[in-house]
Amino acid sequence: MEIYVLVKQVPDPEAIVKVKSDAELEIENKYFTSFFDEIAVEAGLKLKEKFGGKVTVLTVDNRRVDALRRGISMGADDAVQIADPALEGSDQFAIARTLSAYLKDKPFDLILTGRQAMDDDAGIVGPAVAECLGIPHVHSIIGLEVDDQKREAKVIREVENGRENLACPLPALFTCQKGLNTPRIPLVMNVMKAMKAQIKKVDLTSLGLGQSDVSPYIKIEKYVPPPKRPPVKMIKEDFPENVKTLVKLLREEAKVI
Amino acid sequence: MSNDIWVLAEHQEGKVKKIIFELLSAGIDFSKKTGQEVAVLLLGSGLEEATKSLTPFADKIYLMDAPSFTPYTSDAYLASIASLIKEHQPSIFLGGATSTGKDLFPRLAMHLQTGYAPDCTGLSMGEDGKLIARRPLFGGKAFAEMAFSEARPQMATVRNNAFLVNENPDRSAKVISVPPHIDPSLLKKKVTGFEKAVGAKLDITEADIVVAAGRGIKAPENFKIIEDLADALNASVGTTRATVDEGWRDLKDQIGKSGKNISAKLYMAFGISGAIHHVLGIGTCKTVVAVDTDPNALVFNYADYGIAGDLFQIVPALTEELKRVLSSE
Ligand SMILES: Cc1cc2nc3c(=O)[nH]c(=O)nc-3n(C[C@H](O)[C@H](O)[C@H](O)COP(=O)(O)OP(=O)(O)OC[C@H]3O[C@@H](n4cnc5c(N)ncnc54)[C@H](O)[C@@H]3O)c2cc1C
Ligand SMILES: Nc1ncnc2c1ncn2[C@@H]1O[C@H](COP(=O)(O)O)[C@@H](O)[C@H]1O
Repeated sequence: MEIYVLVKQVPDPEAIVKVKSDAELEIENKYFTSFFDEIAVEAGLKLKEKFGGKVTVLTVDNRRVDALRRGISMGADDAVQIADPALEGSDQFAIARTLSAYLKDKPFDLILTGRQAMDDDAGIVGPAVAECLGIPHVHSIIGLEVDDQKREAKVIREVENGRENLACPLPALFTCQKGLNTPRIPLVMNVMKAMKAQIKKVDLTSLGLGQSDVSPYIKIEKYVPPPKRPPVKMIKEDFPENVKTLVKLLREEAKVI
Repeated sequence: MSNDIWVLAEHQEGKVKKIIFELLSAGIDFSKKTGQEVAVLLLGSGLEEATKSLTPFADKIYLMDAPSFTPYTSDAYLASIASLIKEHQPSIFLGGATSTGKDLFPRLAMHLQTGYAPDCTGLSMGEDGKLIARRPLFGGKAFAEMAFSEARPQMATVRNNAFLVNENPDRSAKVISVPPHIDPSLLKKKVTGFEKAVGAKLDITEADIVVAAGRGIKAPENFKIIEDLADALNASVGTTRATVDEGWRDLKDQIGKSGKNISAKLYMAFGISGAIHHVLGIGTCKTVVAVDTDPNALVFNYADYGIAGDLFQIVPALTEELKRVLSSE
């Protein structure tokens, strides 16, 4: 099977993020490969182990290729970085068009992405790539089995009131959610090797794209700090008065019950 | 160009979801300023009850009645909705930030080559009919106000409890039946089965009140006291990654960065330390209560009310007190 996994290096959830001004965030330099993307890589590697073939990791990023190296150290065969100054300030739709331009003439059976990137939490790129390529997609899968002969995948999707089973012909794109698998921790030796691995670099011109193809549909007008919660009110009374006080506060002050 | 505000009406077993009434209420508010009409898109079959409940909340209901809309697949929805949008060119198209909304909207936006702001916590409308969508970034460490390019419609999905439901919406929708646009060759995915979650509770993303316990609960069977508290409050039960990884609770109930973001009116955390990965999922809850034996637990930094105490003592007493107070109304 030919499998492509879309990966992104993002600030770690523990990194400090502050609104510096309307137009700028200050982000602590603490990055990791987006959590759900590692799940996508793991899903690709499992299928490769079963059916043979190749896993390629792909990123659009002008600066960071660490997610690609993480993919290689886990066992991906190939890595491609798409970078171009014209991509500065692009949105998820532009990223999706760029990725699709690269993928459109590749012999893919399956494209895997994260449910959402852990920085923008958007969940746009996966379904948007599927639309550009004209292939079916399923968002947020927690189960995946492929029948290579029938060229069909059976997936489980999480919905509000339960789990839905779907059958989907290949090629297809799935966005991966926690629960699908537990990503492997790469061996130190493989991490070292990945540091030196060759990474193909591609720009927009070679994909036949110009600046107008990556103009954004949405843009951030303004950053706003999160609403501040007033300091906690600790209820200091002894049990059981503290319980009575809590109920009273919830009814009379917060008015939520 | 119709310039209307459209909302996709999601429904389950005949009942329209609460977020849809919230969105329509916001739409009615906007329309008072801009004179736009508010329209609902209702897809499925056997839609009488849903139609009835939506009628006071809109000026128009576009009704597409076809069995292939149930259960939802993006394949069936996309072509039908896209052709209707192209015909009427609404200015705004909104949906709930639900499993359906998150599956459909990004693909539909790409198809229509227009902007989409996902998982928003607020919307506002400029005099010029331009929508501003507010959404959390980095799990809520910062928010962004998003604007759209000139393309229309301006699309967004919105989390629960972003708006109050209008008690007196005062509209009376005209029902317009539309033939669905279903090309069987485009129906690639097939839903082959459905496993309903045990219990009749709302999903934690939809519930007004969520009560949760973490590793401090010590054993899976101890969740009984949390379930009892939830019953007294008509709440749903959430949890942390720690208990999910232990196999004590189901993944669908995990709150946080690698689980779900909840926007409840009231969230109560018992025996939860308040790791950043967890509290990122509760940033848009209105009121937060934390109970933990450790008075220095991080969770208190994110709470409105806190008790440093033993959950095994407090939870059962709280359930009893709530039952007493709520039944005396
Ligand atoms: C990439 C990544 C993603 C993650 N995503 C998530 C996520 O989505 N959601 C999530 O929850 N976590 C997530 N985590 C894990 C997170 O970092 C914490 O490990 C986890 O939230 C801790 O769960 P907990 O509060 O239940 O357990 P603990 O941290 O062990 O806290 C237990 C608490 O219970 C208290 N306690 C003990 N006994 C009692 C008692 N009798 N009464 C009252 N209190 C008591 C203790 O004082 C303690 O504060 C993620 C981690 C990583 C690295
Ligand atoms: N710049 C990028 N390069 C490669 N893949 C990406 C990029 N941005 C997003 N993705 C993929 O799309 C998923 C959803 O991203 P998003 O729409 O930004 O939430 C991520 O989990 C990745 O798998």
